[in-house]
Amino acid sequence: MSMNPFFALAPFVVIAGTAVAVMLGIALKRNFGPAFAMAACGIIASLLTLRMPWRDSPIQAGLLIWLDDYALFYMALLLSAGLAVLGLCYDYFKDREGQHEELPLLLLTALLGALVLVGSSHFASFFIGLELLGISLFALIGYPLNQARSLEAALKYLILSGMSSAFLLMGMALIYAQCGELYFSGIGRYIAGQQDINVTVLSGTLLIVAGLAFKLSLAPFHWWTPDVYEGAPAPITAFIATVSKSAVFVLLLRYFISSGSYSYAPLLNVFSVIAGLSIVGGNLLALLQNNVKRLLAYSSIAHMGYLLVALIAGGSIVVETFAFYLPAYCMTTIGAFGVVSVLSTAQTEADDMACYRGLFWRRPWLAATFTLMLLSLAGIPLTVGFIGKFYILTGASGSRLWGLLLAVIIGSGLGLYYYLRIVVAMSMHGETTATVKPFGRDRASTAILAVLTLLVVWLGVYPSLLMNVIHSITYVIE
Amino acid sequence: MDMIGLLGWIPLFPLLGFLILALAGERLSKSAIAWVGVGSVAVSALLAGLVGSEFLTGTLQPYHLALGTWIEIDELSIAFGFYLDALSVTMLFVVTGIGFLIHLYAAEFMASDPVLPPFAIPCRPRVPWELQRPLDRSETQRSSKNTELNANASAFDLGYARFFAYMNLFMAAMLVLVLSDNLLLLYLGWEGVGLGSYLLIGFWYENPHNGYAARKAFVMTRVGDTALLIGLLLLFRQLHSFDIQLLMLRATAHWPAGTLMPVAAAALLLGGALGKSAQLPLQTWLPDAMAGPTPVSALIHAATMVTAGVYLIARTHDVFLLAPPVQFAVATLGAMTLLMAGCSALVQTDIKRILAYSTISQIGYMFLALGVGAWSEAMFHLLTHAVFKALLFLAAGAVILCCHHEHSIFKMGGLRKSMPLAFWSFMIGSAALSALPFTSGFYSKHEILSAVYQVSPNLWAMGCLGALITGIYSFRPVFVVFFGVQSHLVTKSPGWRMNLPLLLLIVLTLFGGLLRLPLDSVFPLVFKVDRQPNLVSLITGAAPFFGVSIAGLFYLSGAFSAQRLAAYRLLNPLRNLFFSGWGIDALYDALFVQPFKALAKFNKHDVIDDLYTMTALIGQWLHLTVSASQTGRIRWYASSMALGAALILAIGRQS
Amino acid sequence: MNGIPMEQGLLLSAMLFVLGLIGVLVRRNLIMMLMSLEVVLNATGLAFVVAGSRWGDADGQIMFLLILTLAAAEVGVGLGLTLQVFRRFHTLDADSLNEMKG
Repeated sequence: MSMNPFFALAPFVVIAGTAVAVMLGIALKRNFGPAFAMAACGIIASLLTLRMPWRDSPIQAGLLIWLDDYALFYMALLLSAGLAVLGLCYDYFKDREGQHEELPLLLLTALLGALVLVGSSHFASFFIGLELLGISLFALIGYPLNQARSLEAALKYLILSGMSSAFLLMGMALIYAQCGELYFSGIGRYIAGQQDINVTVLSGTLLIVAGLAFKLSLAPFHWWTPDVYEGAPAPITAFIATVSKSAVFVLLLRYFISSGSYSYAPLLNVFSVIAGLSIVGGNLLALLQNNVKRLLAYSSIAHMGYLLVALIAGGSIVVETFAFYLPAYCMTTIGAFGVVSVLSTAQTEADDMACYRGLFWRRPWLAATFTLMLLSLAGIPLTVGFIGKFYILTGASGSRLWGLLLAVIIGSGLGLYYYLRIVVAMSMHGETTATVKPFGRDRASTAILAVLTLLVVWLGVYPSLLMNVIHSITYVIE
Repeated sequence: MDMIGLLGWIPLFPLLGFLILALAGERLSKSAIAWVGVGSVAVSALLAGLVGSEFLTGTLQPYHLALGTWIEIDELSIAFGFYLDALSVTMLFVVTGIGFLIHLYAAEFMASDPVLPPFAIPCRPRVPWELQRPLDRSETQRSSKNTELNANASAFDLGYARFFAYMNLFMAAMLVLVLSDNLLLLYLGWEGVGLGSYLLIGFWYENPHNGYAARKAFVMTRVGDTALLIGLLLLFRQLHSFDIQLLMLRATAHWPAGTLMPVAAAALLLGGALGKSAQLPLQTWLPDAMAGPTPVSALIHAATMVTAGVYLIARTHDVFLLAPPVQFAVATLGAMTLLMAGCSALVQTDIKRILAYSTISQIGYMFLALGVGAWSEAMFHLLTHAVFKALLFLAAGAVILCCHHEHSIFKMGGLRKSMPLAFWSFMIGSAALSALPFTSGFYSKHEILSAVYQVSPNLWAMGCLGALITGIYSFRPVFVVFFGVQSHLVTKSPGWRMNLPLLLLIVLTLFGGLLRLPLDSVFPLVFKVDRQPNLVSLITGAAPFFGVSIAGLFYLSGAFSAQRLAAYRLLNPLRNLFFSGWGIDALYDALFVQPFKALAKFNKHDVIDDLYTMTALIGQWLHLTVSASQTGRIRWYASSMALGAALILAIGRQS
Repeated sequence: MNGIPMEQGLLLSAMLFVLGLIGVLVRRNLIMMLMSLEVVLNATGLAFVVAGSRWGDADGQIMFLLILTLAAAEVGVGLGLTLQVFRRFHTLDADSLNEMKG
């Protein structure tokens, strides 16, 4: 604890400060470009300040934030993902009518919430982070107020998210009532001190799981996912799919390990049911879906299920699996939605399968990028998604979870079908009826997609690059 | 400077060349394509020369270049690297050196490809390959439908870049294959060269016959590849590593000689080698592989890829030493192949098919040497064979090109005067092929046969008979094509890019016998070369002379006539048998293809298909069922969530 | 320490929770749904206060303050969206918002 906690909190402070600065800037003069530029600078500055706590980690920063390598790694991931989404948003919104200056502001606050989630070790920071993220997302989803779908999506997300928060809070209250502790580690000490499973604590934990499962769109709490994915602007969908879910999953794992909930066998049963339902349900729902955004939404349900399998498998490999799978998932998902975002015009969102007919002949590079991302999501070798799935299969077979393993395999088979449907549509000849945006104007998006493509292939061919980083991450229980 | 560290860059340049040509090939001019395609290989060859010379002048200690860990999950850790010892240096020289010369040659050969209207030559009907070689036709009739004629204009414009892209891809894969330090990377290269071979055999894809030949090569080698894959997984399963050196150490330490494990592993590795090197019983693809352009035949189907099997066995020789039955099989198969392919070469009329059968036969010699444990002799023959066979193919290519894509040797003739360089190339190449003294082939074949004699006189006798046959079949085309009456008017002559490789290869063929690579540092020294002249070496040395004389009597002086010989009732079926490659294609057709077709016909409405159709229907039905649950209504969603929460509470409480 | 046993306090908050939940599920008017959501959230706040009083600890009440903030923010955004919905669809019926499904 040699470091001043204030400096350790610098990444948070920078993001929060940038958000305030952007807000003040908008108040003075509305200006689209500078607002985005300022936000981008803030995120980059925050990434740079991550180096400060990295040297002395783990650090208890203030009362509520616990920064170990694990948290810092994911903070870097979330900030990078946030930066990519910001770039996509810039191109998506720059030619649209209306005022879009608040968008970077909301992205920054959402990102701040995600960062807090990743670093939290206490119910209060857990809750604040989750809600900061959630409330910013309501506004982001409904940002294009003139579009009925966005509005519908935002309202659905708001009400259902409110319900899930209530479950979560009730769970926290029950645990607090029994343990008298709000720190994860304090709960861990309580659980370790008990002989039997305490019913109140178990119920509380289950309610927390229900609340988090909503955010992760795990079955049977997944209902909002397709509607929100469809209604939200494509870059924001990417944000929900990656930043929001990654942060919550990171927190779930942290809570699970720190509070010693692995000793709760019933919890593992519940997780198994949830994972099985998500994998099978998500893949089945996606099977014949004709809306690409909804299809990706259903596939994300399945992906979260796969990751939950790794969590159930546990063991020494689980932290490593998360640290590989989540970045892999983030880059492919942002890449996929990036393509959707680039193809979308101010009039229509490019989410119908018809928009993709013959894309290979019109925009071969974009189609190739999309194909690559889809193959990675399907877990085809030589893409990063394959290595991720390999981790999960390794973990599941190591823990002898044969039933779930079977679900993963069946799910992957179903997945291949609907991912390839898009690829087939893209390679078919024939003119599309959908309007197509002229090529070459989205510099930021193009650059982001190029970087992501390179990463997906590079890490797929040579995963050691990321693995070496992962191996150096140590998970420290506070 | 430490040159040897440049090892890792050698395969990179052809790969870069491939990427450039594949991505931007259509935008480049012809000369730019040639620069990229040939230049990348030239840089590789230069680097290989530097690395190799530093290695050979050093202590000969194997050099290991770690490329890093490819994957590391839980207990599974696979490290990749390159491994350089005298064996891989030999292969490195062969691949980059000959590869460069052939690329240079191809830069001109492919540029002067004829531009014919698409309708000039009708495509062959799609018939099984054994029927495409009708047994009752006269020799001159057959070859008129040569395949290289069928390149048409539209394909060619893009073809130049495509050709070099494939060639560079092949080079990169081949270099990975020979340099890899572990079986997995070796397998990557192994499949990579298979892909390159497939793409290049079918390079002129407008003619369905070429595509057919490409598929045949791919499928036949695939049989071997599968065995190899199983073999390397078996080794990994048993010895927990992919690293070749480590595997060899562990195999020697853990496995007693002659037990099941080493025999199984060696047999599976042998399966891979048989497929790739076109040995009995997987040899039938190589003659058909001649459908590719001639430089491809020279590089892939003579000098480099087909010898990969020899390299594989030499590389894993420790396992073979532990499996005497398999080693015996290697020797026997090699001896049988060399005789059978030699006989087939005797009666072919297509100049490239003669060379193809001779390649099979010469690799048979290498297998024979491997089988008796004469590892370094086998590798030496590999080296010399690569040189003189490349020379022969390139000379044949020059002849074919200048005779307006004529393949049949009986339609050529008297070319000695009009194509002196091609004549001397062919002459010297054939001399080396039939192991006449003072050529490189003489030294390597002589060493093999004297080593074989020390192990098994029977195998030696087969080898000597093979040498006799080699003499006949290698000088038959020389006499027919270059002597006698000139039938073709040679209108064009090759440029420097085709002549220079021929000249260099002539020099190498003549003096290659002096190249003594220190292979003894890799292999256990088994055989002492007997320099004393005795009966055995006399017979060994004399056999080719008999062969050449017989060829001369038949085709030069005209003392005997092949036609009259063919008129004998007994001999004509034999000739047809040889011509069709011992009817193995027909045999496989009867054994595998027809029963499979019958089965397919019988089971037209596949029972097992119903299972999949059912699965699809069930999937569809389930999808419709569950997607009905996404009603889009908030209240339905909220109630379902509440129910879900109740459900997980119930499950949690229950269990 | 205080007169009300913890179990009874928790029971009360659970009842409020369920009542609020039922409100969300059965009401079709968006404003009523938001109000019911408020009830649910406050029920959890009550649970925290009860739990805090068991341990004689201010943490429970601090959590309640945080929950209040959340509820306010959520309702703020929620009402804003509801206003837009009314302008666009001229109805507050939650069931009419089902353009996206399947």
